[in-house]
Amino acid sequence: MRPLTPRRIIAICGLLCAVLFGVIVIALRMGAYPISLPDIVMTLFRGAIGRKDEIPSEFWLVIFGLRLPRIALGILVGAALSVAGTGFQALLRNPLADPYVLGVSSGAALGAIISLTFAPHLLGVIQLAAFIGAAATIAVVYFLGRRGGQLDSATLLLAGIVAASFLSAIIMFLLTTLSGRDLRGMAFWLMGDLAAPPPTEHVFIWFESLFIVFLISAGAIYTTASDLNLILTGEQEARHLGVNVNRVKLVVYVAASVLTGLAVSVSGAIGYVGLLVPHAMRMLFGTDYRLLIPTSAIGGAIVIVLADTLARTVVAPTELPVGAMTALAGAPVFIYLMRRRVR
Amino acid sequence: MGSAGRQRIFAAILLGALAFCGAKRASAGQPEFARMSDARQATRLSGQAAGKDAAGKTVIDETGRRVTVPADVKRIVTLSPDQTETIYALGLGEQLAGDTDDCDMPPAAKEKPHVGGEINPSLEAILGLHPDLVLATVSINRRETVDALRHLGIAVYTSDPHTVRGTLEAIARVAEVAGAGTRGTDLVARLQARLDALHVMLADSPLVHVLFVVQEDPLISIGQNTFIADALRWAGGESVILTDQNWPRLGLEEVVRLQPDYILLAGAHLKAEGVGETDFRSRSGWKDLRAVERGHVAVISEGVDRPSPALIDAIEEIAHVLHPEAFKDKSENGKVKTENGLRLHATVPMPEELSPCAR
Repeated sequence: MRPLTPRRIIAICGLLCAVLFGVIVIALRMGAYPISLPDIVMTLFRGAIGRKDEIPSEFWLVIFGLRLPRIALGILVGAALSVAGTGFQALLRNPLADPYVLGVSSGAALGAIISLTFAPHLLGVIQLAAFIGAAATIAVVYFLGRRGGQLDSATLLLAGIVAASFLSAIIMFLLTTLSGRDLRGMAFWLMGDLAAPPPTEHVFIWFESLFIVFLISAGAIYTTASDLNLILTGEQEARHLGVNVNRVKLVVYVAASVLTGLAVSVSGAIGYVGLLVPHAMRMLFGTDYRLLIPTSAIGGAIVIVLADTLARTVVAPTELPVGAMTALAGAPVFIYLMRRRVR
Repeated sequence: MGSAGRQRIFAAILLGALAFCGAKRASAGQPEFARMSDARQATRLSGQAAGKDAAGKTVIDETGRRVTVPADVKRIVTLSPDQTETIYALGLGEQLAGDTDDCDMPPAAKEKPHVGGEINPSLEAILGLHPDLVLATVSINRRETVDALRHLGIAVYTSDPHTVRGTLEAIARVAEVAGAGTRGTDLVARLQARLDALHVMLADSPLVHVLFVVQEDPLISIGQNTFIADALRWAGGESVILTDQNWPRLGLEEVVRLQPDYILLAGAHLKAEGVGETDFRSRSGWKDLRAVERGHVAVISEGVDRPSPALIDAIEEIAHVLHPEAFKDKSENGKVKTENGLRLHATVPMPEELSPCAR
């Protein structure tokens, strides 16, 4: 393997960003409402120079009201879930670890469902409840995953799986006792859904705060990248080399959980991405976490934006939940990468 | 500054990148707006005019949301089959700009542009139809869809009927919102008259205990607060399921315990598949039910699933199924029976639930 230089990191990330940009252009172009590319460019241009009134109001609504928020949300959710997955996999040294498996997604989903049952009319409560659900699950799983004062990877994973199925059972119970309307809404939400625009007038402030939370959490994980590389060779060895393994684990676990809570609270439980993207990036670019974390973030964004574009176009005008699309389109790609690597 | 400024920056970054890729195309963009079809321009202009005129009216819908619609509603999009049927029953089919994949009645509704499924329609497709008014139903559509459309500045009126009477009121209100108030009153009066006539005919008939099957696998029935349960009451029946849950999921054991007099299923597709009495006779568990042994299984039209004018047709259909004797009388000596009934009707005080709304 070639040595990892900052230049190589920037080159690879730049390449991925170009791909992401291409995907964004496709996502902006595709949709049930017909707008030509020049019209999109004009709408963006006039929006950018602040001449909103010169744009046909429906173009403005479609581009700035529907497609851009959805793309931004996709980027955020994809990046957050992928970085969280990368973090969990490094932390547990287990290739199966991802927010879904560890019960964090289920915890967030349960929080959201409870809030929908008891306070369906309050704005933004779902987000908060999902976040609390994720945080509470993290705390419980983290507590259960300790053995003799140490975080034990296998125990933690087991605790996560048990918590996930326990929480799913509660979700099923609630869904069965809820009325029909809630059930249908939640069924979509459980599959992961980016369709609903942000629930506030201040869309950009909302996105900004989400992105800031993302940057802080992902940044926290990135600061441990070198340590994670060492932990990968073995915890004892890392300790001997002066790595504070427990501190690294705590940082990664909390930050990755925050990222999961963030993603689930805005988009529901989108599975697969946290598992698939980090592995794909590993296969493509190697296992160095200094490269893996940023490439996973961009790769996750690409996957979700692309999957969502497919989700709202393949059976247009009906929309599929994006979670169904990530699994449907992601699994074959993943198998291809895996087979290629084996050979 | 604030969010508008950030919006610009965000757009500027994207634009810069877009321009980098397609600089040539950007220059061709200018005339594209002008090429927008005349029809679309006109719609847009009329929409703006309505907004400025303040000629629009503001109503509160059945979910408590404030809705402002233009005085002259020209383009309606319906998000649920019942609203589609209501619009056609009001004679507003011309104004219907689009509906969902699930809107199959009347047949003309299938020819309209579709905006997707009732649960997950495409917001863009709805926007693209330039509606003045979007109609939704609580029991069918998702709150998220309604909220998102309202967020985009589209007038969405949502109905939430839980009884037959509520359905008639909802029809009248929708007619009012859509600018066909008189037609709505007439329609509701006609429907109410049919209900009254039915009430008279069934006055002597005993209540039949019914298991209404919404879905067979898993078995889902109706709660007491649904309009279907109320429709059964109008048709001289009573759901055997006593629950506040709207769509309770049942075990077969519960059905065996309750031993309904009659089993009713709804849906044209079931009729087409030949589901019914003979079919139930061969199903394990079901075949030993008393109702099945007696052949008391019937498939009725799916109108009963929809709080629309077709609900009244379905009620009459169910009444014929549950109380054939009441209608045999009528065909032999219809006139006398009806007059008798009317007299009876005048003397017997109507329960609150049955008092018509359109008098």
